[in-house]
Amino acid sequence: MSGRDFFVNRYAQLGWRFREVESRQSIRINQSNAKQKKLPERLSGLGVQIEKIPFLEAAYWVCKSRVSAGATAEYLLGFYSIQEAAAQIPATLFTGLKGKTVLDACAAPGGKTVQLADLMVNSGALVALDVNKRRLAALSNHLERCHISNAVVYNLDARQASRLNLKFDRILLDVPCSGNFASDKEWFNRRTLIDVERNSKVQREILAEAVKCLASNGEIVYSTCSLEPEEDEMNMDWAVRNLGLNIEEVNCLGEKGLTEVFGRKLDVSVERCRRIWPGDTQGFFVCKLSKRAVAS
Amino acid sequence: MKPITVFASQFGDEIALKPDFIVEKDQRYYLLNSRLKQLARNDYYYAGLYLGKVKNGVFFPSFNLLKMLVDVAVNKIVIDKKAAWLFICGRDIFRTGIVKAYGSRRVGDCTLVLNEYGECLGFGRITGGLDAAEGKVVIRNILDVGDFLRREF
Repeated sequence: MSGRDFFVNRYAQLGWRFREVESRQSIRINQSNAKQKKLPERLSGLGVQIEKIPFLEAAYWVCKSRVSAGATAEYLLGFYSIQEAAAQIPATLFTGLKGKTVLDACAAPGGKTVQLADLMVNSGALVALDVNKRRLAALSNHLERCHISNAVVYNLDARQASRLNLKFDRILLDVPCSGNFASDKEWFNRRTLIDVERNSKVQREILAEAVKCLASNGEIVYSTCSLEPEEDEMNMDWAVRNLGLNIEEVNCLGEKGLTEVFGRKLDVSVERCRRIWPGDTQGFFVCKLSKRAVAS
Repeated sequence: MKPITVFASQFGDEIALKPDFIVEKDQRYYLLNSRLKQLARNDYYYAGLYLGKVKNGVFFPSFNLLKMLVDVAVNKIVIDKKAAWLFICGRDIFRTGIVKAYGSRRVGDCTLVLNEYGECLGFGRITGGLDAAEGKVVIRNILDVGDFLRREF
């Protein structure tokens, strides 16, 4: 239950015909830092050719570059971040982040943490967790480079988030996942269905913990860069059935979530999720959840 | 708090920070906003705006602190594009790279280093008169933003 043919055949069963893709580099402007900096013009002057990404607010494809986009003074000053285009979607799905108490439950290396802080305009409180202490150094560097002032970082497993005794208005669950072949050339040689099932179990544990910490009227955005339905639609189906969560409509790039997976029918609301097959972006899955109102 | 004010005073002025909102953990200093002050537990790894750390008795500022100092510092120099690129690569500054100099010109004093847009790239120590010969290093690089790249390795 591994190997290229095995997974490619699964994708075909899910309705997608496999093709090799070349990943494109993309950047996201940190609007709080880069205000009035005329960043596109400055990058152009350095020989970095960029093109607006139509489905995102402040993001650009790097088309051609004479210099490394990760070594310009503008990058080092925190005016922009290098962030994969699909990975920029989850943080944008929340409503009204300004002044809120927000949890980024699996935060390192911090691309989405910085994006959340930027969308929060450095207001309120952003709690960032990661279980791996070594990855927290990269997260901290990222926060310092981008001059983030509203985040607090803990070395804590997302499955223990309720130990913080906080209720969060918004929770980002960009959960650890199996990844996909578009961002890892060796993916088919590395991954087996057993990995996928193990990750799926951890993801459900993280989801269940997040629900404990979610304020009433709160929102959860769940995302993975896995194409495997066990980590995506099937987990959302499980969350709807077991955690009292609703799947909300979202307006973003991607196809509707699958409601029938390998012959198994899922809750119809799972189609409100968004599945992005690899193409211009890497493979991705994203979904917005809220607590179901309890009938009085 | 004291290491921060002592460090800031090297640039010729004082920095206004609210002491109640500054926390210290493992000799690292952070500035919290009011919401973080309420909710942050003591076992954080990083919190708020990182200001710098003390290591072996020496204060190492963060780039957040240097950015805050730009508006209050008296000692600062503006350098041209080429000198800016060399500076963030860790190199010192030659007299020819300096576009403008404000504040102290005394050898041994510290000065912020700004690019042509007035953005802080780091700081250095004045090692030669700013009217020295062309090929002479006049600012010794102490810290520059290229440090973010060097930290990763």
